[in-house]
Amino acid sequence: MNNNEFVTLAHGAGGRQTAELIDRVFKAHFSNPDFTGDDAAVLPVDAGKIAFTTDGFIVSPFEFPGGNIGKLSICGTVNDLACMGAKPLYLSCAFVIEEGFPLAKLEEIAAAMKKTADEAGVRIVAGDTKVAGKGQVDHVFITTTGVGQLTEGVRTSGAFAKPGDAVIVTGDVGRHGCTILLARNEFEIDADVTSDCAPLWGTVKSMLDASHDIHVIRDATRGGVGTVLYEIADQSKVGIRLNSADVPVAPEVRGVCGMLGLEPLYLACEGRLVVFAPKSEAPAILDALRKGPYSASAAIIGEVVADHPGKVVMTTEIGAQSLLPQPGGELLPRIC
Amino acid sequence: MCVGLSARVVSIEDGTALIDASGAKRKVSADLIDDLEPGDYVMVHAGVAIAKITDTDADESRKIMESLDGIG
Amino acid sequence: MESAKRIIESYNGRKLRVMEVCGTHTHEIFRLGIRRILPPQIELISGPGCPVCVTPAGYIDEAVMLALEHGAVICTFGDLIRVPGSEMSLAGARSQGAAVKTVYSPLDAVDFARENPDKQVVFLAVGFETTVPAACLAVKKAAAEGLSNFSILGANKTMPNAYKALKGSADAFLYPGHVNAITGTAVCEDLVKLGVSGVVAGFTADEILTALAVIIRLSASGEPFFRNCYPRVVRPEGSPAALKLMDTVMEPCDAEWRGLGVIPMSGLKLRPAFAAYDARLKFSLPPVAGRSNPACRCGEVLQGKCKSTDCNLFGTACTPLHPVGACMVSNEGACSAYYQYGDILNEQ
Repeated sequence: MNNNEFVTLAHGAGGRQTAELIDRVFKAHFSNPDFTGDDAAVLPVDAGKIAFTTDGFIVSPFEFPGGNIGKLSICGTVNDLACMGAKPLYLSCAFVIEEGFPLAKLEEIAAAMKKTADEAGVRIVAGDTKVAGKGQVDHVFITTTGVGQLTEGVRTSGAFAKPGDAVIVTGDVGRHGCTILLARNEFEIDADVTSDCAPLWGTVKSMLDASHDIHVIRDATRGGVGTVLYEIADQSKVGIRLNSADVPVAPEVRGVCGMLGLEPLYLACEGRLVVFAPKSEAPAILDALRKGPYSASAAIIGEVVADHPGKVVMTTEIGAQSLLPQPGGELLPRIC
Repeated sequence: MCVGLSARVVSIEDGTALIDASGAKRKVSADLIDDLEPGDYVMVHAGVAIAKITDTDADESRKIMESLDGIG
Repeated sequence: MESAKRIIESYNGRKLRVMEVCGTHTHEIFRLGIRRILPPQIELISGPGCPVCVTPAGYIDEAVMLALEHGAVICTFGDLIRVPGSEMSLAGARSQGAAVKTVYSPLDAVDFARENPDKQVVFLAVGFETTVPAACLAVKKAAAEGLSNFSILGANKTMPNAYKALKGSADAFLYPGHVNAITGTAVCEDLVKLGVSGVVAGFTADEILTALAVIIRLSASGEPFFRNCYPRVVRPEGSPAALKLMDTVMEPCDAEWRGLGVIPMSGLKLRPAFAAYDARLKFSLPPVAGRSNPACRCGEVLQGKCKSTDCNLFGTACTPLHPVGACMVSNEGACSAYYQYGDILNEQ
């Protein structure tokens, strides 16, 4: 495929050129026994329960240090399934592509999806392609839908956090949000930060192998870890105490945040889980996490309390208590 | 007002300094400080180095607290 | 830090009202939970040192007008995006198709103007003495390059006359370190002669606690005092280069402070030599009288006359997601800080 081939409206018209695009890009990369080209994939169902979820992905720029929208679209759905303790099995993906998008870039995106899906142990079994006119979408949007097999004896939910639980984060926070901020180059800041974007079924599996007594697993995406903490405090009607010194943040991310007056806890992650489990289980879980490729810097950052339900209270560097502000609205740099 | 950031000067060229704050780098105006050299620490605000920094906050605070002995 | 903390926590002298005039101090004091370690005799008042909070609604109206009616690209610090004008905020204008670009530095707005010669670029110049030199550098740079598509909408302010207007609002000021880095400390020494006490403070936990401890100790004598607690950044003479630059490009003028009214000679505007870079002249903007919600008590909050929680709108009609007054919209505003950090156990 040469560099001056582009997606055209004809590629989305459903005729020969659509078939050509599917053959050249998607079939070439996604090929597996369950990806048949029929109207729907026909899949075996095991006994037990399945988890089922969907997510849409738009990101500007569509390529960034540490990944691209393709990798992101697999990780997002795989991680949502993993958070329920479900082994991801099958994914579908729907593309909306802007007219004029380079085919070579589309191939890179498909290759990243295939690689990430393989790592997560999931098969892409169905798809759809639409082409929108120039300016109607920002390069390419992807929606993925996934099903996974629930692990027996495991039941996690945002409503299950209990006083006495330890709050664990599986790595340093805010990398993805910081990476995207820098990649847009609006503020002309340069820092060696790559997205944490990663498929986390392996990470969840290692925790479940260490303990089935895990109450909540949630992936921190938009709004970051701070948003997840407020969601859980609200859903479980508990209070959360956080120790600010224990929250892992890469120095570069801290530097960028310092420059722009931002709080790392509200920057998006795409490869970080927030885990709530009884304190007695925490050491084994942490031990398992620290051996994993995406969770070497996992840390206990706080605990669940019965006091101040719905609120997240932080112990600050002077040893005083302060409310973690509720995230909301768009993140705006604070300068003057 | 006035979010300030302390940063190390990496290099200077034509009135512009490349500064580094924990690995976050940016070019800022060095027009307001005459004798800036690489290795200096500066306070940066809105893309301008506004002052040279001469001490750490911990050392400065310790000296100020010591100077209070016998007052009040 | 520990010895400063001990002095603060064990204070049991007379009532002491300390006004932090800088929004970044307000923000850090709340973020660090410093209010929670204060004994009841010490009251911290959040003063008018958040440029967003003291910017009148009419200013936002002017910016919206430039964007929507004149098609200008508005370059602004992120702080201003959500501030309500009489009709809409800049975020609202953006949803109506206005071009609003967030910048880190006014100099970035000049770069943007150079790269986009077909667009008129207007930088929203708000801020105090710390921020003014950056705006002046931007204007000088645009002038030196002969850029005809760059201008600023000015609302810069200066602190000295505001301190005088606020005399009596507090027993001591926590002076804004980064303003003093530019202006020096003579203005504070002069205030001592008027009976106004204060210390220049930095912004780390160590520095804020140390400054408060110094205020406690120096207050004991009952005499007015001044102390520079941020000498690692603040020199007595300030920044002569910055002061010279400001004097070259701008001149003092009367300025309207949201909630405080007009304070004589408390603002800065471009000198006639730089009039070509004044967006009001360039686009012949009509005089704009902004309207703010009459129930909003931001003005009294800024003067320490009431607490955010005394306002009927606070937390009900006025929240950070739906701000009515500027003190709620700015992250550094007293109301926003009270709302976001204040209420651990529904203690209001």
